[in-house]
Amino acid sequence: MKKYGLTLFLASLVIIGFAAIAGSGRNSNDFPAPPAIGTTIDDFRLPDADGKEHSLNSLKGKNGTVLIFIATKCPVSNAYNERMEKLAQDYKARGVNVVGINSNVTEPAAEVKSHAAEKHLTFTILKDDGNKIADRLGATRTPEVYALDGSGKLVYHGRIDNSQRLEGVSANDLRNALDEMLAGKPVTKTGGAAFGCTIKRA
Amino acid sequence: MAQVYKLRHIMHSRLIALLVGLAAVCTVAGFSSPGQSNGAGVSAPDDVRQIDLEGLKKLLHRDAKDTRPLLVNFWATWCDPCRDEFPDLVKVDDDYRGKGLNFVAVSLDDVTDIKSAVPKFLKEMKATMRVVLLNVNDPEPAIKLIDATWDGQLPATFLYDKEGKVVFRHFGRIKPDELRAALDKEVGSKQ
Repeated sequence: MKKYGLTLFLASLVIIGFAAIAGSGRNSNDFPAPPAIGTTIDDFRLPDADGKEHSLNSLKGKNGTVLIFIATKCPVSNAYNERMEKLAQDYKARGVNVVGINSNVTEPAAEVKSHAAEKHLTFTILKDDGNKIADRLGATRTPEVYALDGSGKLVYHGRIDNSQRLEGVSANDLRNALDEMLAGKPVTKTGGAAFGCTIKRA
Repeated sequence: MAQVYKLRHIMHSRLIALLVGLAAVCTVAGFSSPGQSNGAGVSAPDDVRQIDLEGLKKLLHRDAKDTRPLLVNFWATWCDPCRDEFPDLVKVDDDYRGKGLNFVAVSLDDVTDIKSAVPKFLKEMKATMRVVLLNVNDPEPAIKLIDATWDGQLPATFLYDKEGKVVFRHFGRIKPDELRAALDKEVGSKQ
């Protein structure tokens, strides 16, 4: 009877173990995990919409860099065009450069160029053919932001703010993070989630 | 005369008791209208209800008596892959509703589209699943309530088992075979 009890106990443990694994939920996507906050982002090279190649190091600002995964067709990304341009202008003066990255396989370089001209986006936009940089950074949606400090360490990853509609903005997460970073303070909120368009990978 | 009245009174009382008993049995057996659970309500294309964070919590809340798996799809009319996958989701709803699937499609459209673009699209799709529109000023609490691994990219599809655990998730356009395999496992496991 004791032996039977032990077998039953061990069998229960095995079942609980399997249930715990199954309970984690299957994910049919293979998105790479994004780098942790504090990670130094390695240099990379990508062409802009004219085909001119740039390195991340050559585009970095003295005090920091904001990489934004953007799109030409995504209404959420487009809702942020003016805000992204204003961000680039406001922070350029403070030594932080904004760089756009388009990783959508559905949006060719010529479209990225005409979109930027039409929407008056003056910051550099790189074309990430084959979504290599989106994969390396674990980017999943547009718009999605990676803010680096002057030494290239990731200090913020996530949304620009809480609302697609400008009048609904009540949490300026990215600007708050940049302001704290520039003031030499630790970033209080290092990320934020918001609805966005899935990056269309090759 | 008094005896007839007494007999009628007894029969009336018995009828009421019988009806009360039947109602109780139906409730215990979970014979409620299929669209009325989880607080989301039935949604014909013309009647898409808006919900807030509390409404989303109610939608996810699993009643102990409800053993149906819950499929939740987040979409918007402005999202191309959401539109592309919708016919597959309508077929999934058709094929699995009778097998005990509870399916709610949560629109992330602007609330101003609740009477226009959203029902127009649902009509075009001949959608019959329940549809609600999530209207929140800050999407972060809603996104993290749904799944800690989700950052808000659309479309996003989650399958919860009867305990409310995520057993399948997919970001981007669904692969119908993968979703159906996960559904088969869940609708099969409760039998």
